[in-house]
Amino acid sequence: MNNTFKRLALAAALAAGLASAHAEEFLVGAELPLTGSLARVGAGMQEGIMVAAEVFNRNSKHKIKIATVDDESAPAKAIAAVEKLASQGAVAITGGYGSNNIAPASDAANKLGIVYITSGGVDDSLVSSGRKNFFRINNTAGYEKAVLGLFSDMGVKKVSIIYSTKDATSDLAKSVQKALEAKGVAVAEHSFDPAITDFKPIVNKVRLQDKPDVIFMVGYENDYVGILRAARVLKPQVKAMVGVWSLATPKMAAEFPDLMPNVYGTALLPFPATFTTEDGKNFADTYKKMYNKEPDYLGQFGYVQSMLLFEAIARAADKGTVKKGGIAEELRKTDRDTLIGRVQFGANGDNLNFSHRMGQHQGKNIVIVWPKEHATGKMAYPALPW
Amino acid sequence: MGELIAQALYSGLLQGGSYALIALGLALVFGTMRIINLAHGELVLLAAYIAYTMESKLGLGPVAAIPVALVVVCVASSTVYLLVSRIREDREINSLILTFGIGVILTNLILLVWSADVRSTSSSWLQEAFVLGPLYSMRSEVLFFGVSLAMMGGLWWWLSRSWYGRAVRAVSSNRDAAKLMGIDPGRTELVSFIVAGVLAAFAGVALFSYGVIQPAYGAALTVKAFIITVLAGVGSIPGVLLGAVLLGVAEALTVTLASSALQELAGMALFLLVLFVMPNGLFGAAGRRG
Repeated sequence: MNNTFKRLALAAALAAGLASAHAEEFLVGAELPLTGSLARVGAGMQEGIMVAAEVFNRNSKHKIKIATVDDESAPAKAIAAVEKLASQGAVAITGGYGSNNIAPASDAANKLGIVYITSGGVDDSLVSSGRKNFFRINNTAGYEKAVLGLFSDMGVKKVSIIYSTKDATSDLAKSVQKALEAKGVAVAEHSFDPAITDFKPIVNKVRLQDKPDVIFMVGYENDYVGILRAARVLKPQVKAMVGVWSLATPKMAAEFPDLMPNVYGTALLPFPATFTTEDGKNFADTYKKMYNKEPDYLGQFGYVQSMLLFEAIARAADKGTVKKGGIAEELRKTDRDTLIGRVQFGANGDNLNFSHRMGQHQGKNIVIVWPKEHATGKMAYPALPW
Repeated sequence: MGELIAQALYSGLLQGGSYALIALGLALVFGTMRIINLAHGELVLLAAYIAYTMESKLGLGPVAAIPVALVVVCVASSTVYLLVSRIREDREINSLILTFGIGVILTNLILLVWSADVRSTSSSWLQEAFVLGPLYSMRSEVLFFGVSLAMMGGLWWWLSRSWYGRAVRAVSSNRDAAKLMGIDPGRTELVSFIVAGVLAAFAGVALFSYGVIQPAYGAALTVKAFIITVLAGVGSIPGVLLGAVLLGVAEALTVTLASSALQELAGMALFLLVLFVMPNGLFGAAGRRG
């Protein structure tokens, strides 16, 4: 009896050991806006997620399978997408775009006890509302740091901020405004409804009333095109046009060659992109192979968030803790150099080290002009697109 | 301040012209057949994407895309009518659901074919400034404001002078009586949809020339067109122009004198105010009878 018990215990221990070391396949949900107003950014992030899965599966004994559900850029659909993916057996969710979609979707993930990781929402309430399984790799502070650094190098005395009334854009505009005013820079602000199509009345106010050194745009691609077009017509006497995300990109240079010269925007990499690390080369090569184009920042963010998640899943699988909160635990232990810099998550799930860089469209290239240690060229200032 | 207000009025006038061009097709179908074509914005967008394709693939300017846009959008508009004409009961309500569904399908087709990227013309000529004393606009805005006026004039002439135009009005007034007069209601309604397609094609090419397009914009265009149609008063072509210009000016003045964040709110406030004071719209049927 005693021997039988010992043999059974040995067999159980061996089985448990084998199970934890055994290669497993995990389903990861991608909840993204592939249609609706955020379809463009959602599709960009999806590319990064798929590249991460490809690279990870090539190099790991564990395998990742991606199931994607389109949230149609709508909060209610985002919740439904997360619930559907969880019901299909997804162990975690990567994706999300737009803070107003991410908030309810990550709440749903939190209730279901699964991890939600994103780079698509910079609203601070996402990390201050007690979501236990929420992680993100970028934040308003990182964008603010880059914009303020650029303005400081330019020595601007007066700034006009034109910003969309959406959550993320308002947050960033307000933060930058406060920080600039604290430094003694005069700021005039003009919020606009996302449905606006004619920016001439706003730019005319900037031209005749504000007379700033710089126009700072906080919006999305369509807003930037509208503002730059209005500025091209009214020609306000400013020294630079500065924006944030989705602006200093090869796509904008290719699609709007007449509007982009000398315009500044956040950019982690110069264009043409040069990747020096092994991870970077893996990403760029795989991306080009899969999509037959140069990688952009959306793909880069999607790749980083997903790769960190997949690695955490693999570590949790090795420890046999995937279904016991191990993925979140492993993500909290993350300390890794990535394509967007060093990533470590704080107790609230926010990346502690995120800091962006500023790029400028110069000819067909995008040159990193801030910070100095990462600069690939000198800024053209004063310089305008018209 | 005077210069600011003058520019706001000028920008509002031009914006109103573009709104009118977008609303005309919807107003025609709504006015004559009491059908709200919720896919109208997508038809406008389809024309805009055709202009984009002609420019990006063949290097042709947006204006050169008009013939192709006319053919494609008129075929699409006729198809919408053929589907609507299959409805046998409660046509006004069921056509709402049907055209909404067609709009969703068209949006997704546009997304599949052209992707979600933001598009706009790269023609520098169209984007260059047109300066009129202290007033500034893009050349494309002035060009298509003229086109908008011409289309409205043409539509008014067609409805009041041509046989088919009068047939459309007759069917709208009394379908059964029109039949007795030898008018084929089905064919007449098809003609209405084709003319609406022509208007949508011009509106789409104009939109691509001075604005930015994305697959999801269709619904917003339909809503704007619907507001103008109701503001104008059902069936009134001059009302569409006046309603659209009022809306454009109200929005531009709100941006200049208050905040641009209130622009949409100002448009809706104007809409509600007009409906409160004049329940039939600016040039509604009751007003015309009076």
